[in-house]
Amino acid sequence: MYVIKNALKCIARAKGRSVLIGIIALVIATSACLGLSIRQAAQNAKETTLNEMEITANISVDRRSMMQNIKPDEDGFDRDAFKDKMGETSSLTLEEYKKYAQADAVEDFYYTITAYFNGSDDLEPVTDEEETEETEQTESKNNMPEIPSGNRGGMRGIRASGDFTVVGYSSDLAMTDFKNNTASVTSGTVFKEDTAKKTCIISEELAAFNNLKTGSKITLINANNDTENYEFEIVGIYKAAESNEFSQSAFGTSQDPANRIYVSARALSNVIKQSQAVSTTKTTSDGREYETALNGTINATYTFADSDSFAAFETQARKLGLDETYTISSPDLNSFEERITPLNTLSSMAGWFLLVILIIGAVILVVLNIFNVRERKYEIGVLTAMGMKKRKVAVQFVCEILVITMIAVIIGAGIGAVSSVPVTNTLLESQTQSQTENAEQLKNNFGRDGNITNNTAPTPPDKPNNFSGKMDKMIGGAVDYITEVDSAMNLTVVFQMLLIGLGLTLVASGISVLFVMRYDPLKILANRD
Amino acid sequence: MGILTLKNVCFSYGKTPVLKDVSYDFEVGKIYCVTGKSGAGKTTLLSLLSGLARPTQGSIEYNGKDIKKIDKYNFRSKYIGVIFQSYNLLTKFTALENVVLSMDIAKVRKINKKAKAKELLLSVGLNEKEAVRPVLQLSGGQQQRVAIARALSYNPDIILADEPTGNLDRETENEIMEIFRKLANNGKCVILVSHSPSVASLCDEIYQLTKI
Repeated sequence: MYVIKNALKCIARAKGRSVLIGIIALVIATSACLGLSIRQAAQNAKETTLNEMEITANISVDRRSMMQNIKPDEDGFDRDAFKDKMGETSSLTLEEYKKYAQADAVEDFYYTITAYFNGSDDLEPVTDEEETEETEQTESKNNMPEIPSGNRGGMRGIRASGDFTVVGYSSDLAMTDFKNNTASVTSGTVFKEDTAKKTCIISEELAAFNNLKTGSKITLINANNDTENYEFEIVGIYKAAESNEFSQSAFGTSQDPANRIYVSARALSNVIKQSQAVSTTKTTSDGREYETALNGTINATYTFADSDSFAAFETQARKLGLDETYTISSPDLNSFEERITPLNTLSSMAGWFLLVILIIGAVILVVLNIFNVRERKYEIGVLTAMGMKKRKVAVQFVCEILVITMIAVIIGAGIGAVSSVPVTNTLLESQTQSQTENAEQLKNNFGRDGNITNNTAPTPPDKPNNFSGKMDKMIGGAVDYITEVDSAMNLTVVFQMLLIGLGLTLVASGISVLFVMRYDPLKILANRD
Repeated sequence: MGILTLKNVCFSYGKTPVLKDVSYDFEVGKIYCVTGKSGAGKTTLLSLLSGLARPTQGSIEYNGKDIKKIDKYNFRSKYIGVIFQSYNLLTKFTALENVVLSMDIAKVRKINKKAKAKELLLSVGLNEKEAVRPVLQLSGGQQQRVAIARALSYNPDIILADEPTGNLDRETENEIMEIFRKLANNGKCVILVSHSPSVASLCDEIYQLTKI
């Protein structure tokens, strides 16, 4: 007990020394607190964002892994083997998608079916191009079935790029645009969930372009077979923010959001079945055969309660029979990784800053303590000559540094607590700015805009072949970065600060202990005499 | 047999011998004076007696037990009170704190150590104000008294003093010697190291060290 009392007296008596050590410890503690808080804030923000996110996943053919597994022939990459392999691998059927939805990890499941149609004479797609000869050729091309590259490469089926993209939703949950408030019905209502009725909603632009309104009927024609007509009743007209930002110049009319027609998945599925029932085989002008049946592309989405469930899904899906040729990916998590880039950079910088501060601080404290203990050599000699054990003298020195360091840690933690959030947000802002500038620079380097939107949320399943989103990322489109953190200090940081305080004390006082244990009182006092 | 016995004690600094075959016997109730010329090994002898140094040969026994077998810190803090020539007080502490700290180190079980320390300081001639003054603000004689009070604070059996009156005037010297006499009369063994004939004349026995 007297050792502690003595230590406190020594701190009070040697004010200059104590204040100097205290200031250095305070600078280290404040910097460490800021560093730790930034890291913690980044961690908190990541966790919060992740918790708030709806994590979805899709199953797709793992083409990359397939390419890697193809053994090269004498000419290098065996294209034929790859094409054969791809040809053997079909997209999953709806039943298969539903089977994997039975996995425990899956919270919810929804899907969309996408098919392409042409319009009847009284239903023209929204287009901003004049009907020139070239356009007519394009239109004529739209009306004519094409053999897609996939078919040539071994993919089964045939897909015509019609005038309209018809998307069938399995449930309201699948209607991400409406969920995310980027689309809304301005007249009528959305068709009933899972209805078999051939009801649809169309865009404001399409309605205006064709003088259509709620209650009107439209006729959609199979792009592969113009004798196949399907009549849909318009039950609602919607407005989508995305439509305004789309330029058709690079894409066909069916890719224009204005030319999307939304129906229920059941209704579209029935239409496809009907089409398949009357399907015939036709031959193209270059002699290739194709089926006239409408082809629906299924885009299934699994939702998860959290990222752990997503991680568990792969194992569960494999157990349920998902082949290795398919891969499970989460566009949300990929997007999340992108969103937290500045935060991660900041967190990493804070980590290095913390390390440097701790090393420099520890070195300064050690040097100061060497001077301190040498200056107090006589005191050590007197105390040990009086019969105080060296161990106790060392404990006294450790106590002195511990008390000063802990006071500095408490004050430093206080300063850190007050300043960490504004400092973190300021640094995060500059990081985000730098990231955005880099993206802008990249965009300039490419020399085109690429329909940049402010939202790189995962491409929803109702936007098939939406190249714009992909292009955004490719050429550095704007990303919805996390630019603000709410809190930084918490018990973890306080605990880490205490550990740092103890660590600094041990490092700094370790040298004192070494000196104390080495000193011989007789020599010290004899030299003094 | 005395309380402290030196048996054929030899000591050397490296290859330089300082003490050779020193055999003394110290008893309680007496004042001893170890004298000798400069370099004869008086202070070295005091260091050996206080346990700060170990003899290279021979043994020192405290109450018949070799002090090598006694914990040196325990020996220094409980059984022997040392008054160094240069006092060796903690200069940033007050006189009172020096004495209290000494009692703390010796683990003296006193309810009010401060009161006991003050009493001791008053008994060696310091007043209350001087007792709470930092040591550096005291004169040489006052510091000497603080060193004596500190040495007596834990009631040791043996008092060792290195040139206790070396820096003092005649009057103070007499006062200090009077304190030592009282201690001897109270059953302590007082061993003084001095080359002052006047101090030696006030002691009960004189041991003469000769330079090797």
